[in-house]
Amino acid sequence: MSFAERMLKIDRRIIFLVIGLCTLLPLLYPVGLPIKISSEVRGVYDHIESLPERSVFLLSIDFDPASKPELYPQAIALLRHAFRKNLRVIAMTLWVSGTGMADQLVTQVAKEMGKEYGKDYAFLGWSPGGQAVIINMGQNLYSAFPSDYSGKPTKDLPILDGVRNLKDVTYMVSLGAGRPGVEEWYVFGKDKYKFEMGGGCTGVMAPGLYPLLRSGQINGLIGGLRGAAEYESLIGQKGKAVAGMDAQSATHVAIIVLVIMCNVFYFSLRRTSQAQGQVG
Amino acid sequence: MIFLRRQLPLLITLITGLLFAGQYYVPHPASEQMLTSATKWLQIIGGFALILGVTSLFHQHAVKIKRQEAGWGYSLILYAGMLGTIAVGLWANGKESVNGAMTAFGWVYNFMMVPLQGTMFAILAFFIASAAYRSFRARSREAAVLLVAAVIVMMGRVPLGEYLIPLSGDVSSWILNVLNSSVRRAILIGVSLGAVALSLKIIFGVERSYLGGGKE
Amino acid sequence: MDATVLGAWVATGLTLLIFSFLYKDNPLFKLAEHLYVGVSVGYIIVKTYDTVIVHLVVKPIMDNGEIALLIPVAIGMLMLTRYVPKAAWMSRYAFAFIVGMGAGLAIPRTISSFILKQIEDTVRPLLSIAGPDGLTFSMNLLNPASNLNALIILFGVSSVLFYFFFSIEHSGTGRAVARTGIIFLMISFGAGFGYTVMARMSLLIGRLTDLIEFSDASYGRPTIWLTLLTIGALIVISRRARPEPPQEG
Repeated sequence: MSFAERMLKIDRRIIFLVIGLCTLLPLLYPVGLPIKISSEVRGVYDHIESLPERSVFLLSIDFDPASKPELYPQAIALLRHAFRKNLRVIAMTLWVSGTGMADQLVTQVAKEMGKEYGKDYAFLGWSPGGQAVIINMGQNLYSAFPSDYSGKPTKDLPILDGVRNLKDVTYMVSLGAGRPGVEEWYVFGKDKYKFEMGGGCTGVMAPGLYPLLRSGQINGLIGGLRGAAEYESLIGQKGKAVAGMDAQSATHVAIIVLVIMCNVFYFSLRRTSQAQGQVG
Repeated sequence: MIFLRRQLPLLITLITGLLFAGQYYVPHPASEQMLTSATKWLQIIGGFALILGVTSLFHQHAVKIKRQEAGWGYSLILYAGMLGTIAVGLWANGKESVNGAMTAFGWVYNFMMVPLQGTMFAILAFFIASAAYRSFRARSREAAVLLVAAVIVMMGRVPLGEYLIPLSGDVSSWILNVLNSSVRRAILIGVSLGAVALSLKIIFGVERSYLGGGKE
Repeated sequence: MDATVLGAWVATGLTLLIFSFLYKDNPLFKLAEHLYVGVSVGYIIVKTYDTVIVHLVVKPIMDNGEIALLIPVAIGMLMLTRYVPKAAWMSRYAFAFIVGMGAGLAIPRTISSFILKQIEDTVRPLLSIAGPDGLTFSMNLLNPASNLNALIILFGVSSVLFYFFFSIEHSGTGRAVARTGIIFLMISFGAGFGYTVMARMSLLIGRLTDLIEFSDASYGRPTIWLTLLTIGALIVISRRARPEPPQEG
């Protein structure tokens, strides 16, 4: 067996080890390379920045623990920005497994920013049905969520004064890890109820949402951990996403090196077999 | 009987389908009220659908435990995890926190469900790296194009890549915003046309697989 | 022991049990995997009960007398007849209602959001070429809204649609268009792969960040102790699982 053949059949656990180390070492010893801001992320930031105080900001936390590392930092950065701008923040989720996480992050950021429940923010919790919830909220928010997460009637929440349905929402961002997510919020929400909308999503989903971004159906897109790191940089409060960017760099470079190595071995093997074929 | 078992369900689909497709174009208060009520109903029915989806596991693992098939001990762990979570969940009234304080249900969620689900997906990182090493080869011109695009985007979306090759950021942004957008747009249009066609087939009873098999 | 510290130990232990799969499939991983399914199902059942039965049905009926909500409950119950073989056909009413309504709601909204809006945005930017001052053509590739990019997008959309949807034989000009469609597709799939790598690595970064946090002395360093324990357990398991040498005779 030639060297190239042996290298191509290398034990996968060696690759696992390389990836593990490339992730772990930059987390332990960060370098802090600068992060360039993309126009996609700036779209969401600029829109929130332009909103007048007490505008209604709806954040739909449509992900579960499987996507926590990517979308949790996005949610924290967005909430910090919204609270800093003194917006009325209404949070909710369409993903049942994300309820606990959504509750935790809203409570945590609100406490950090000194916000009062019911007056500055509210967490509506989860409701099943996906698209049905969106349409029902568009028709009548109190029908979709008669009570908030803690069981208090939503009609008694001062933060919802003047808010009847999605038409009264000034800006909405869905942080989606799949379905229901950004697309459903557009199709069943914005299409009819005409609120302004931005999106946040996992890296896997991001390329698929670019057509909506280009057509202006969403006015910004925060994609994956990189998007979260950009948003953290924009609000000037660096968190877990920025901290993870060095590790992200290292793993990407590691994978590129692996791909190049694999191709070098593949072509050397192909050349050898072609040469043998000619001799034979 | 065949009317009750076969034709009536198809009639319900036809009527509800046409009614709610037409409703979009009729903004009359009565029509809007119907939409509000019906979507509220759909929310509640969605809860039952969720239960139907997860409870199919009950039977499967109960049979395994009963017959003591290979790996029945794991099924027992599954049941213990499920019943334990239900017990603490009901005890905590289904709330992970009350006035900011974590309940026992919240503890199970935060320290069991979150790390378990998160890690289950995190191990994919290792497998994608291994798969890239084993099969990401420029065997043809098309595969080479795919590979080059992937490498540019991987470089252009991390700070180190932009630092080493400053142009990679702009090139990957162009790939995503223009070339990728056009492809995803074509796919989106195609998939949407397919979805509309399928919906019409369902409404008019051409597609009936959702009714399931069983006796007529 | 403080609940958070205990939680850190449990979370670290479960994380490591799942990671043990990287060495090979083993009983520790299977244990964690089944526990994950059990806890998730239990969680969904509790949340559904609390949200649907308590807050969407019982409370509105008791407090506001919204008796009409019993109709969706009845439809939902019909769905559960799937478990009773003799009455399973009744579940068809529930599915007919959901699927019919879902299809009806989706048709106009999908046409408006994804077909008309996307076609409109593919064609509309070309109109800006004929601006009020006569013909203008912006060539800036870095501006996604430039005329040059608008033309590229139009060409990309058309060629990919041609490649996918026209079943005529791809020969002559058609072949060139279809081949261009393939190149566009490959570039997009490459970008998709790049982003998928980014996403998967982010998930790993998230888990390792937690493990680093839990290696702190304030938690009792569960990461270090439990890593050693997991490695030890894996060594014992792999020694036990080593097959006996075949006996001669």
